[in-house]
Amino acid sequence: MSIWKKSLAVVLSGVLAFSLSACSSQDAAGGDASSGKVIKVAYRKFGSGNKGLENWLKSSAAEFEKAHPGVKVKLVPIQASEADFFAKMALTMKSPATAPEVVTEDTFMISSDAAAGYLEPLDRYVSGWDEWNQFFEPVQRGMKAEDGKIYGVPYSTDTRGLYYNTNIFKKAGLPVPWQPKTWEDVLAAARAIKQKVPGVTPFWANVGKATGEATTMQTFEMLLYGTKDRLYENGKWVVKSPGFLDSLKFIDQIFKSGLGPELSQVLTGQAGDIVANQMMPQEKVGIVLNGNWVPAAWKETGPAPWKEGTKVYQFAPMPTQHGEAPGHTSMSGGWALSIGAKSKEKDLGMEFIKIATNKEHQKQYSLTQGDLTPRKDVAEDPEYMNAPGTVFKQATSFLEFTHYRPGNSQYPSVSTQIQAAVEAVAIGTLTPEKAMDQFAQNVKRMVGADKTVEK
Amino acid sequence: METAKIGEAPLAGRKRTSSQTRDHLRAVLFLLPAWVLLLVFFFGPILLTFYFAFTNMSLTGEASQQLEFVGMANFSAIFSDPNFMTSIVNTLVFLVFSALIGQQALGLILALLMNNRSRTFRRMIGALVLTGWVTPEIVVAFIFFAFFSDSGTLNTLLGTVGMEPVKWLYEYPMTSVVIANIWHGTAFSMLVYQAALGGVPKEVEEAAMIDGASAWQRLWRITLPMIKGSVVTNMVLISLQTLGLFTLIFALTGGGPGVQTETLPVFMYHQAFVSFQLGYGTAISLILLLIGMIVSMVYIRLLKVKI
Amino acid sequence: MNKIRFKTQMTGKALPYLVLSLIGVAFVVPLLWMVFASLDANANLALKLPEQITLNNFKEIVTSPDNQRAFLNGILLSLGQSVLVVIVAGLAAYPLSRYQLRYKSPFMYLILFATCLPITAVMVPVYQLFVYLNLQDSFIGTMVFLTSASLPYAIWMMKNFMDSVPLELEEAAWVDGCSIWKAFRVIVAPLMLPGIFTVGIFTFAGSWGNFFVPFILIQSPEKLPASVSIYQFFGSYGLVEYGKLAAFSFLYTMPAVLLYMLGQRYMSEGFNFHGAAKG
Repeated sequence: MSIWKKSLAVVLSGVLAFSLSACSSQDAAGGDASSGKVIKVAYRKFGSGNKGLENWLKSSAAEFEKAHPGVKVKLVPIQASEADFFAKMALTMKSPATAPEVVTEDTFMISSDAAAGYLEPLDRYVSGWDEWNQFFEPVQRGMKAEDGKIYGVPYSTDTRGLYYNTNIFKKAGLPVPWQPKTWEDVLAAARAIKQKVPGVTPFWANVGKATGEATTMQTFEMLLYGTKDRLYENGKWVVKSPGFLDSLKFIDQIFKSGLGPELSQVLTGQAGDIVANQMMPQEKVGIVLNGNWVPAAWKETGPAPWKEGTKVYQFAPMPTQHGEAPGHTSMSGGWALSIGAKSKEKDLGMEFIKIATNKEHQKQYSLTQGDLTPRKDVAEDPEYMNAPGTVFKQATSFLEFTHYRPGNSQYPSVSTQIQAAVEAVAIGTLTPEKAMDQFAQNVKRMVGADKTVEK
Repeated sequence: METAKIGEAPLAGRKRTSSQTRDHLRAVLFLLPAWVLLLVFFFGPILLTFYFAFTNMSLTGEASQQLEFVGMANFSAIFSDPNFMTSIVNTLVFLVFSALIGQQALGLILALLMNNRSRTFRRMIGALVLTGWVTPEIVVAFIFFAFFSDSGTLNTLLGTVGMEPVKWLYEYPMTSVVIANIWHGTAFSMLVYQAALGGVPKEVEEAAMIDGASAWQRLWRITLPMIKGSVVTNMVLISLQTLGLFTLIFALTGGGPGVQTETLPVFMYHQAFVSFQLGYGTAISLILLLIGMIVSMVYIRLLKVKI
Repeated sequence: MNKIRFKTQMTGKALPYLVLSLIGVAFVVPLLWMVFASLDANANLALKLPEQITLNNFKEIVTSPDNQRAFLNGILLSLGQSVLVVIVAGLAAYPLSRYQLRYKSPFMYLILFATCLPITAVMVPVYQLFVYLNLQDSFIGTMVFLTSASLPYAIWMMKNFMDSVPLELEEAAWVDGCSIWKAFRVIVAPLMLPGIFTVGIFTFAGSWGNFFVPFILIQSPEKLPASVSIYQFFGSYGLVEYGKLAAFSFLYTMPAVLLYMLGQRYMSEGFNFHGAAKG
């Protein structure tokens, strides 16, 4: 009869594999309690762009651990391209086994992730927190989801504009300082560079799906919000509009007339790094449509140290399409620290956030990462405003005419459709008209045709 | 079949009734772990696919909390989604050129040519082809990313014969992924055909040779019909491997530029995980599963597999 | 006349060697970059001989604790999966090969049918199932899922291997007083080695480079296998660190190569599908 026992043992070992696997996931969550508390801080680690972020979280963690003996901060870097990161983050936040106490949230995800139940409302925390008033109001508003509750504490904000290479401009016979008044001015400058300065990419902008939200915001919305049209109006998505079409046509023109970068340089997830760390320091690109953080790469401690960077590349505001008032446009977003709704140690998470977003750490972050500060007291700090090798001053002045993205829980999905349209136009597989048609069709499917409008 | 004969043997010498029930119980025990695993982790997800494909499940936003049944909405959307048709075409092109033609033909040619060659030579060439197969999929992607890059190996080689560099991954993306997959997969077909050819008796070929049949005739009339079973099996196996292939394309081109190399699994990934529409993505998965089921049934019917 | 004939015979003999050599070379060429770049201190995507040969790329990969862990994770995941597959499929194949069972035929059809389903491409429901079962981020859960995904073809192959093991030996063992289980272990299992190796290596090679499954099912960085962590080289300092990427790739390919070499002599049997299908 020993066969019975033995085969039973085999079967049991199979069953054991199950129970083990069930245990292990509980261990990961529950085992922490016995060996002192642990809070997890999840953030994106990809490319050089987030070096400052990681250093900031590390020093904040050190201070936090000092203030809370027995509590450990576990940094959870998520290695994914921008396009894959938000999915990975959602998967992480969805399950109590992995939900981090603190997450870095791009503000455009706040409404969506709050509606999904991934984020914890912070109202009860910030109501008694005197420093909350230190944050600029428009940025504070961006922390609210559609239910009116606050879901994050901001640690950065930003504006976007045109970097132009003064040396290349002089060679091309273009004025320095440069103040383009219309899109046509921008195109004309790019054409002049193409003609007179060979070997240089005249105009650079994110156009790939792999660069995710950067393609939507730094490129498409910088164009769209310079037209008369918007992406979301009166509770409806504007899926077709003249402004939408013109924005795609601008991209089409850039690439059709050979004014844009090589596709191999711009369609990869590292496009942002390639332009900031290689093309710009080598002065291989004339005009770059990008955010205010770019010069952070040229700091002494950065990936591509370059002292003269901000002298060679100056930062000009993006003109509206035909020079319509107020003449310029910009887009602002930013990042926040949020608390995972399914995490264990929410109170400690908030304590960590308070430390990480205090004046000292915020200043450190802005100076190393190159992001604009959301805090008034940091903004007034001369060390910040006059920081060498940054474009803080110009970038801050863009806040006057800047725009914010729709704070809508469907925005993230709609945004991915914009990226698909932009890439298709840039590589020339779809005409601007066709790309807009596809965009309209996909968005209608996703949000329901009744929530869209065509102009 | 033979197995049935074998199966009867142990029963023969024993008392039928008790040993049969005992065998039965034993069989259940032996099969139990496999059953449990298959039910939970294989057929479980398939059942869930049938369910989720008809919902609006989402990775973020309201729909990730409240699952709503949306009927055929996902499918009517899929069939009017131009990118879906593109990905079907891409999947077919990829399947036909990389697997059915590329791997299959090259594998057969290799096996035929290697038949009767010196042992050392055969082993050497075999080992070279096999490196492609044992190289992990993600590494294959990196290797070919370098191979096809602007200043990469292929352009360097073309340069030595005076050809201009080509942006392979951007101008010929489908050709590039097809080549990468042929490199990765050919060894499998080669091994299958080597084994099959090994089973063809020498006498038959020799007899045909004496009858004056040309090499070509021998191949078509004698060798191929004799290994027909292996050909079909191999075709089905590599088709299915290719149908579900994700890592190689994802890491090499990400489905791009645009949607030019977006096959069904990559399309599914983009819809489900990048655009956050899990329900829609699952509907695509379901179509992928249905294609697999059809291939499978055709295969079983075609070969009249006896069990 | 004789001369011409001799000539065609010679070319007829030389041609296959030539063609085979060319194909062989074509298969090596893509690998050259990986080898050269891994030894190059200033590697990029171009194919070039390193000006300075260095082992630093390898040293940095091997000495990094993160990489060690990722490799270990990968080996545990794939090896664990392979062992589980061999055990579970081997057990299942035994009654399917040896007994007359009423449900055998439908079961084998189901298995054959399942072999054709691209289950690893259906990750949304799998992920959701993991959430339901609270297996999300579980290393063993991922291993068990990968095991289940490989079971259909593994059972199919194992049964065919087992059919070819003659029953007489087993019967002799029973006569000698061996229990069925002991006969299974002592007689059947050793004769099954080719099958075990083939199935094991198949399984291992199939999952070793799999990026998708662990990418979706595992969230904690410290549990990720090397197939996912290899992505780090796409990031650091903006330039892809091609030298390290190549070195990592090289090291990452080695376990599969070694395993294949170990099992090679058993493998050729595994590709004989005559038993699987009668045309």
